[in-house]
Amino acid sequence: MWALRNSGCLCAAWSWGRSRLARGTAGGRQTDQNPEWQLEEQKLLPQKKVTMELLDHLERLALVDFRNWEGVERLEKAIQFADQLHEVNTEGIEPMDSVLEDRCLYLREDNITEGNCTKELLQNASQTADEYFESPPDSLQKAAFCKLRCSFFAGENLVTGNIPLPKLEEHESFLQDSN
Amino acid sequence: MHTNYMLFLLFFSVAPWRPVVGLEIHAQINSNSKIFSGSQVQFIAPPNSLVSFFDASLPGTLPVLNRRCVEAAVMTGLALSCSINKKSLFDRKHYFYADLPAGYQITQQRLPIAVNGNLSYTFCVGAKQSQLVTKNVRIKRIQLEQDSGKSLHNDARSQTLIDLNRAGVGLMEVVMEPDMCCGVEAAAAVRELQLILQTLGSSQAIMAEGQLRVDANVSVHHPGEPYGVRTEVKNINSLRFLAKAVDYEIQRQIEELENGGTILNETRTFDYKLGCTIPMRDKEGKQDYRFMPEPNLPPLILYDAKSLPANIGDQQVVNIDWIQERLPDLPSVKRVRLVEQYGILPEHSFTLLNEDGLMEFFEDVVRETQMNPKKVIGWVISELLGHLKQYDLTVKESPVNSLSLADLLNLLERRVISSSAAKQVLKELCKGEGKTPLQMVKEKQLELIQNQSELDQICQAVMERHQEEVMEIKAGNRKVLNKLIGLVQRATERRADPILVKQILEKKLSQ
Amino acid sequence: MLRAALREVSTALKEGRVSPTELCQRCLSLIKTTKFLNAYITVTEDTALRQAEESEKRYRRGQSLGDLDGIPVAVKDNFSTAGIETTCASNMLKGYIPPYNATVVQKLLDQGAVLIGKTNLDEFAMGSGSTDGIFGPVRNPWSYSRQYKEKCGQNSRLENEDSSWLIAGGSSGGSAAAVSSFTCFAALGSDTGGSTRNPAAHCGVVGLKPTYGLVSRHGLIPLVNSMDVPGILTRCVDDAATVLGVLAGHDPKDSTTVQDPFNPFELPSVIDVSKFCIGIPKEYHIPGLSSETLAVWSKAADLFENAGARVIEVSLPHTCYSIVCYHVLCTAEVASNMARFDGLEYGHRSNIDKSTESMYAATRREGFNDVVRGRILSGNYFLLKQNYEKYFIKAQKVRRLIANDFVNVFNSGVDVLLTPTTLRDAVPYVEFIKEDNRTRSAQDDIFTQAANMSGLPAVSIPTALSEKGLPIGLQFVGHAFQELQLLTVAKWFEKQAKFPILQLQEMLDHADALSHQKISLFS
Repeated sequence: MWALRNSGCLCAAWSWGRSRLARGTAGGRQTDQNPEWQLEEQKLLPQKKVTMELLDHLERLALVDFRNWEGVERLEKAIQFADQLHEVNTEGIEPMDSVLEDRCLYLREDNITEGNCTKELLQNASQTADEYFESPPDSLQKAAFCKLRCSFFAGENLVTGNIPLPKLEEHESFLQDSN
Repeated sequence: MHTNYMLFLLFFSVAPWRPVVGLEIHAQINSNSKIFSGSQVQFIAPPNSLVSFFDASLPGTLPVLNRRCVEAAVMTGLALSCSINKKSLFDRKHYFYADLPAGYQITQQRLPIAVNGNLSYTFCVGAKQSQLVTKNVRIKRIQLEQDSGKSLHNDARSQTLIDLNRAGVGLMEVVMEPDMCCGVEAAAAVRELQLILQTLGSSQAIMAEGQLRVDANVSVHHPGEPYGVRTEVKNINSLRFLAKAVDYEIQRQIEELENGGTILNETRTFDYKLGCTIPMRDKEGKQDYRFMPEPNLPPLILYDAKSLPANIGDQQVVNIDWIQERLPDLPSVKRVRLVEQYGILPEHSFTLLNEDGLMEFFEDVVRETQMNPKKVIGWVISELLGHLKQYDLTVKESPVNSLSLADLLNLLERRVISSSAAKQVLKELCKGEGKTPLQMVKEKQLELIQNQSELDQICQAVMERHQEEVMEIKAGNRKVLNKLIGLVQRATERRADPILVKQILEKKLSQ
Repeated sequence: MLRAALREVSTALKEGRVSPTELCQRCLSLIKTTKFLNAYITVTEDTALRQAEESEKRYRRGQSLGDLDGIPVAVKDNFSTAGIETTCASNMLKGYIPPYNATVVQKLLDQGAVLIGKTNLDEFAMGSGSTDGIFGPVRNPWSYSRQYKEKCGQNSRLENEDSSWLIAGGSSGGSAAAVSSFTCFAALGSDTGGSTRNPAAHCGVVGLKPTYGLVSRHGLIPLVNSMDVPGILTRCVDDAATVLGVLAGHDPKDSTTVQDPFNPFELPSVIDVSKFCIGIPKEYHIPGLSSETLAVWSKAADLFENAGARVIEVSLPHTCYSIVCYHVLCTAEVASNMARFDGLEYGHRSNIDKSTESMYAATRREGFNDVVRGRILSGNYFLLKQNYEKYFIKAQKVRRLIANDFVNVFNSGVDVLLTPTTLRDAVPYVEFIKEDNRTRSAQDDIFTQAANMSGLPAVSIPTALSEKGLPIGLQFVGHAFQELQLLTVAKWFEKQAKFPILQLQEMLDHADALSHQKISLFS
């Protein structure tokens, strides 16, 4: 049998593979009481990388909320898991964007081949108005209000922007909605 | 605006502030279809009619690069003396906005298509706009990217409507290093870029149609110290407002700092009605675009004559050398040619190129008239253009076309009318009543008196009536001759050729 | 007839022994009977029958379009199908009807294939069990096979069955179950980390992952753009080659397809493996590997050796890091790909309308399940300016190391690698859900995932039954764009393995018990 024939290197592979696998599936091997594994786990526990600030920042960037503690824990575990990458020596190695990096990009001719399908596009949208997509009646980022500092004009506060941004309180309230 | 430049120079040579202006310019690529999809590029169209599935970010759709957009960027890079990167990469820039359906923009952050160029630009200073100053600005990079859609606010019905016609149109972002110091320079640099783009055809660069958008980065510092905090000024849709916005912002920053305040690293918008910049309220928290390589677009490889591969189809190859050979004459080259060909002054050629269509107009007139181009230029720039500016018209909207002006100048050349009569006629013609020069001349009875004896009689009459002046002239005061000429002119209602009049008077006086 | 291979059915259709409409109706019927498997999200009965009719007309005129004309096929519900709901098993796309066909779907239809339905999956293809979708989990048809019942005890009472049914694997579990239970002759899946090969192994069918760049992804709703490929599930290797022949080739709509011309091939019927070199990667022998699978694996190696092939041990030293690397790159791309789901142009849209930002956030909260949302958040973390170099770029470098491992091995004379596909046979659902999605995926993807990282073609071949009577599959990994060689070796092996046919009667009895109807579908 192949297994027996190669038992020598198999054993070596087995123990090496075992510790690797243990670390690779943090949290998965609950029934494995290998002390070596537990030690590894402790070594990897980071000083708290996940702060409230970071959570808020991520939620705003991703527009996805953690919802509850489980979500946060999931992130912490994910970071912990990813930290294993730092064991690998990648000196002198170029990052790989794509396995097709040696192939050159296909170029198409400047012909009009698409478009003119307004109906088809609007069909799948929940809210439309005439031939437009409709978004809630404010805009992200571009609210403007005037703080007149220019000395050429007599100061009068004019509200030139349309809509205020959601305030932090609003942000919190919609997070609470989900709980 | 131009006198302000002199004031600034003066001001800054005395005061301790050095303003620093850099620009980020987005130019829409002049192509039939969008950069990553086959939908049409057109300024006016029914909403959402020029949108493909990819533009609407339907899941499963993928970008395919438009060859024409690559060529446009290479042309522009070559014209700006950039080094063209034979390999460039595409990235995703993530942020949420209603007019960005995919939640990210495809751009070239890591390795753009062209880098390290420069642009020479010229502008007029001095009271008579006769002094030309030429400066240089370094081009940091040119990158290809997607335009976003448009959101329209209907306050009445409290709606925000999204039109994606513009989403996915190809853009070239041209970044100019902070080598400029004021509004005039910024506007001149952008104007030159605009001319270059239009000459190349890589962009029509019409600011009013949003084909050329400029964001200015402005900061001030004391010479010798590090650069100050900069602000970004957006929403500038004309060259005039660019200069205004930049100058305003410089002033604002100086005043703020001199009053002990600080400058925030913020984004401001230019309110053209009030003529000032206003802060745009930043999103709470920092922005992080989380750039990531665009996995659906392998690297863009460009070739030159040396590296041209044998086994790839012609359509798949963009050959930098081939494009270089076919670059049209750039504005700077055109200006030199105009000076050489027509003997006009450099500042004239500058104006000719600066005004849309004026160069063609001038050349048309020169072709149709016997008048020396060196004289024609005065008529085109000082006279015609002056009137157009007064009525706020572009050259294309001129009530006097090149043939008309040529006719007028020919009348002048043949001494049918005097110079001042011609000016008068031109002024009238510019009112746009549609008459020909000849008609106008006849109508106003501006023909010069050609009859020698008639003139002779009039001169004689004037001399007889003004014996004192005659005495003075004979005594040696030549200047009084002009008065006599003027009197003859008045007597003839300006229909006497002043040169002839002078000749006749002199002859008589010497008798 | 339903158990026949594609080419046999095709011949039968040409010879008029069966008509496309009959075939279609039988499949539809079987789908109804096996509804409890939950393999299908949408059954496109009307369009299928119409397509079958068209096919019939062509056959009558003697103008069939090819081997796939009139053949019922199923497509995973993350491929866009024009006019047919495409949900990705997510609330976000429930009710979404794409206005276009994915290129691979179009190619199938152009060949006259009959689209019988859209199959079930993990939400947005994230998972290895086909258990995390809004339409519920897919049941492995083998849960109801005679083979499993015989081995697993005498209890055939309904309640026990219902609690002991097995997962189909994922995320293309629906497609695998559909093919396995004879309701179609081929199915499209997708493969990002093993999502076609894993369920293929658990359901006892052939699961092919083509080389990245060979088959168009246009219309495949992406998970990880730099690793996704459409996968092919069939009941034998020849069928997989046939379908590949239809699907492969440059697509101008997908810039990640290679421009090299592709020539469809037929696999030789007589195969001599003595000229091949089979590599056995030692790092794939890990503690979690079940002893049965290990035994099957080594037996397979012996088989090749006895037939004269050169069988050597090779090393892929960075194997142990591939899961972590995948984790970072996958979540990052997911974070990016999911940014388009905001409710504005399509898909679910929340009623919360206070501002665009809150609408987006609410839509995404309501539309995505925890797994998806968790990956989006992790992915965004790794893409943050301060983390990008440390995690994302680092993972990209490790990816190159992994890809280089394969290059080195293949350059040293190895033609094909032989590895297990999964750690063990299919587990019962109740056991599977005890662990969270990410952990499970990390474990289950361990053998399959590196092929996605390096873009190489791989195929899972059903090899033997476990002690429980459940399928065990083995995987072959080949050189890039060398599917002909890969499938040739696989075909030879398939012949040797003689994997048994799923004995369905028990399943039908189960259905009978549910519906109190006796239906005999097999002639």
